[in-house]
Amino acid sequence: MDIGRQIASRLKDATFERIAPTALANADVNRPRIRASILDLAGRSFGEGDAAVVIAAGPSLHRRDSLARLRSSSFRGTVVAVDGALGACLRAGVIPHVIVTADPHAERIVRWFGDPSLTAPATDDYFRRQEMDPVHARDEVGANRRLVELVDRHGPQLTVAIATSASPAVVNRCESAGMALCWWNPMFDDYDRPESLSRRLHRDNGLPCLNGGGNVGTAAWVVTHALLEKRRIGLLGMDFSYPPGTPLTGTQYYPELRELLGERFADGYITLPNPFLGETWFTDPAYYWFREVFLEMAQDAECETVNCTEGGILHGERVPMVALDEFLAKVTRA
Amino acid sequence: MKEYLKGNYPLDVTINDSPAETDQTAAFEKKALARLGGSICFVAKKGFLWKGDGADGHRAADRQPS
Repeated sequence: MDIGRQIASRLKDATFERIAPTALANADVNRPRIRASILDLAGRSFGEGDAAVVIAAGPSLHRRDSLARLRSSSFRGTVVAVDGALGACLRAGVIPHVIVTADPHAERIVRWFGDPSLTAPATDDYFRRQEMDPVHARDEVGANRRLVELVDRHGPQLTVAIATSASPAVVNRCESAGMALCWWNPMFDDYDRPESLSRRLHRDNGLPCLNGGGNVGTAAWVVTHALLEKRRIGLLGMDFSYPPGTPLTGTQYYPELRELLGERFADGYITLPNPFLGETWFTDPAYYWFREVFLEMAQDAECETVNCTEGGILHGERVPMVALDEFLAKVTRA
Repeated sequence: MKEYLKGNYPLDVTINDSPAETDQTAAFEKKALARLGGSICFVAKKGFLWKGDGADGHRAADRQPS
């Protein structure tokens, strides 16, 4: 097994180590602010019919102009977006019915909602490096300012499925923009074990625990089928990887791979074919793990999932790659 | 280290496999791996949504409507 896959095989436990302390601390701080459960969304009709699109923030969202195509289609189903795709959605005139956020990071995630306190480029170069929303890389402060305005304008129309692990800065921002917050607990561990953290959290706040699959994109897909009960789901921007030619320095986990593997950091990347485009894409261990988990979870999902990303590495027996226009035409006809 | 150093002849030198060094490497690896992980956990074979064992958690009743 190559080194990238070896690392990926250890990320289930590593994620717990990375996330649990901050996520639980945030859940404690957020506890008095919980007013509504994600279960309150279950009976509400978002859009028409049983079809939905789940919008993640992978590079194909921009490469394939997916949002403009969605906007100009006759699709009237449910639109669920991850926090990182919110800005791109609003700029394209796509107003998500539900936005999903979960990452407990104290400073980064609030930027996906526009951070009113940002007045100068941050010391952390994450937004200048990341591939998810290129406008932040080109003009960090200007892009943030425009996003603050957009989110403030649309906030009262937006519902956020927010994990108790979310940073209080994200909670403040969503509340101040007038968004409706519906809460859930991330599933941390096996709730059947008496000492389970998931069970403890549920006992404390009464919220359901959602199995997030390692990342917010997969969590958004879980919300869409397990909670909103959508039965035909098209994925957009769910790349879990990088297009050929992407510089390694522009990948999500470049600094971490460099720290772990030193000069051999390039050995940590994994290449996989994209049969839709006939290209070879590459990924890092974390994204590869997300892919493997998604394909595993898709085996048990009571919905048809098709990947309309038109890029990336997420494909399998239960997750075929289909052109976005084909999916939209099919669900609009039905 | 012992798993890599196996021979069928006696060595003239003593191998010093310092436990402290091994611990340091393991600690570094654990720390570095943790930084590579995801933003939310995954729990295998436990379904998508767990609503509890029937009764809502005891703190649910004190929520104020939004």
